[in-house]
Amino acid sequence: MSQRAGWFAWLIFVIGALYFILPLFGTFVFSLQKVRGSLGFSAYEAAFANPDFLRTFLFSSLIAALTIIVSLALIVPTAFWVNLRMPRWRGVVEFITLLPFVIPAIVLVFGVIRTYGKPLTLFGIPLLPPLLNTELSTNIVLVAAYTVLSLPYMYRATDNGLRAMDVRTLAEAAQSLGANWFTVLARVILPNLRTALLSGALLTFAIVIGEYTIAAFLARPMFGPYLQLQVRNRAYEAAALTIVAFALTWVAMGIIDLITRQRATPLTGGR
Amino acid sequence: MTFLALTNVCKVFPNATTPAVDNFNLKVERGEFISFLGPSGCGKTTTLRMVAGFEFPTAGAITIDGKDITGVRPNQRNIGMVFQSYALFPNMTVADNIGFGLKVKGTPKAEIKQRVAEMLTLIKLEQLGGRYPYQLSGGQQQRVALARALAIRPQLLLLDEPLSALDAKIRVSLRNEIRAIQRQLGITTIYVTHDQEEALSLSDRVVVMNAGVIEQIGAPFEVYNFPKTAFVASFVGTLNIFDARVDDPARGVLRLADATILVEPTHLSGLRAGDAVKVAMRPEMIHIESTGAVDENVLTGVVENVAFLGAVARIHLRVGEMTVLVDEFNNPHLAVPAVGSTLTCYFAREGCIVLS
Repeated sequence: MSQRAGWFAWLIFVIGALYFILPLFGTFVFSLQKVRGSLGFSAYEAAFANPDFLRTFLFSSLIAALTIIVSLALIVPTAFWVNLRMPRWRGVVEFITLLPFVIPAIVLVFGVIRTYGKPLTLFGIPLLPPLLNTELSTNIVLVAAYTVLSLPYMYRATDNGLRAMDVRTLAEAAQSLGANWFTVLARVILPNLRTALLSGALLTFAIVIGEYTIAAFLARPMFGPYLQLQVRNRAYEAAALTIVAFALTWVAMGIIDLITRQRATPLTGGR
Repeated sequence: MTFLALTNVCKVFPNATTPAVDNFNLKVERGEFISFLGPSGCGKTTTLRMVAGFEFPTAGAITIDGKDITGVRPNQRNIGMVFQSYALFPNMTVADNIGFGLKVKGTPKAEIKQRVAEMLTLIKLEQLGGRYPYQLSGGQQQRVALARALAIRPQLLLLDEPLSALDAKIRVSLRNEIRAIQRQLGITTIYVTHDQEEALSLSDRVVVMNAGVIEQIGAPFEVYNFPKTAFVASFVGTLNIFDARVDDPARGVLRLADATILVEPTHLSGLRAGDAVKVAMRPEMIHIESTGAVDENVLTGVVENVAFLGAVARIHLRVGEMTVLVDEFNNPHLAVPAVGSTLTCYFAREGCIVLS
């Protein structure tokens, strides 16, 4: 690369970095200015002192954990089977998993409310009572909606993990040694998908923690609506919480990076 | 008594117009080492996969020791398989890989440990049980894959181009090791390869396949020296193949371009004067110095090229419209003919094969 091109690349990098860092820096400085005329962490103290912070954060964490479990149970066998037995269906499955990118969350939540807000019937035969009538059933719908929302991330991460290994040959090798499909999946495929699944899980966690639309319309005490409320009423605390949310995301990304580095070894191939 | 039998086995993949394997019949004795040899897409791997249970035949039957296993699932066949890409489980150590099959079968831990140690000794990797696959060389990984397949005491061992991903030197040493282990254990083995040298050097019998059908089954010596079809003749080893016409079938006389050559009259039985045939001869059966009365066939031409291949020097001799390949075994005193010079070559009638 010529020296001029090198400088240009650096210039683009610096502009890009400033584009991301400056708003964050501004928010951080703003969060420190709760007490007029001095810089301090009183906005953070106030934010953490509010019991709603911990309550909503823990509830969101629980919903995120359940979403991850449901997503893994749904996506891993699907992606495994598509890679192994139905590669021709890969395009269809990928299209379906990408739908949450083109269907706005507001459309999704209205669809959910219209469908599950009244008894679910088939040819006039009642199948399910309204699922949005109780807290428990609404939470189930919430987890289902977030599972749909996290499809692109979870499927992409799982599929990438599966493509990085020779699934078919590994499965056949295990079968020839006497393993049934459950053993193949549990002892051979899943352990080798650890990093990919962790990536998908952490992305899902980050999405659920920060999601606002679905949580607000289903009236659940999630962290996203709580944060929005803070922005409206307590600007400094909201800025502090934004920084905390960023910090949590960075921690999650750091964990991914750490694990990926530890496992950055070839799956096959010689020295 | 036949141990493995494939009877009228056919495989047609969905949406395919031609069968991948067509009317495949083979009987294998216990302890035999059989190679499936053929070009890519000839059906050799598909046949192996049907024996393993990863593909099911469209028609026909597969039996092992008299039991029909045609519809049995792969995990219930007790057949060990070694793959081209090693297929070691990356999350397991060498010892865990070798012990995997025994663990799946619920073998007691102490027994697994003992068997793993035996297998590590067999493949001479006693010190590497605690390593992960990525910490091994390609050759070591394939030895571990072999040990893993053998650890379960399979009734049959299948090897699907196991040496293709290795470099030439390791390939030769590992193939000798595979054969030695096979002899030591006496395990019936099927080996798939497109490398004729591998097939010829390893096998008790070679099955040469082309376009889904068996072209010839025979001992390596037989397949090399007495190919039954033009395909076998051209695929196994290097061969000169020329169009000729029968001149006098009773005396074994053929007309080859402007020359007259003699072949064994038995090769021409059933043929009449004027019939077109293909005559083949191995380059190493042709000499640039006459060895006496035996070399009764003579061709004269112009040297087009001389390629030094290490063990032999291959001379390309232009005779009329034909190019005749002549191999001269290397020695320090070999007088390599100059390109453009005129050269006479000689060969015996026994060296000529007339192909159907």
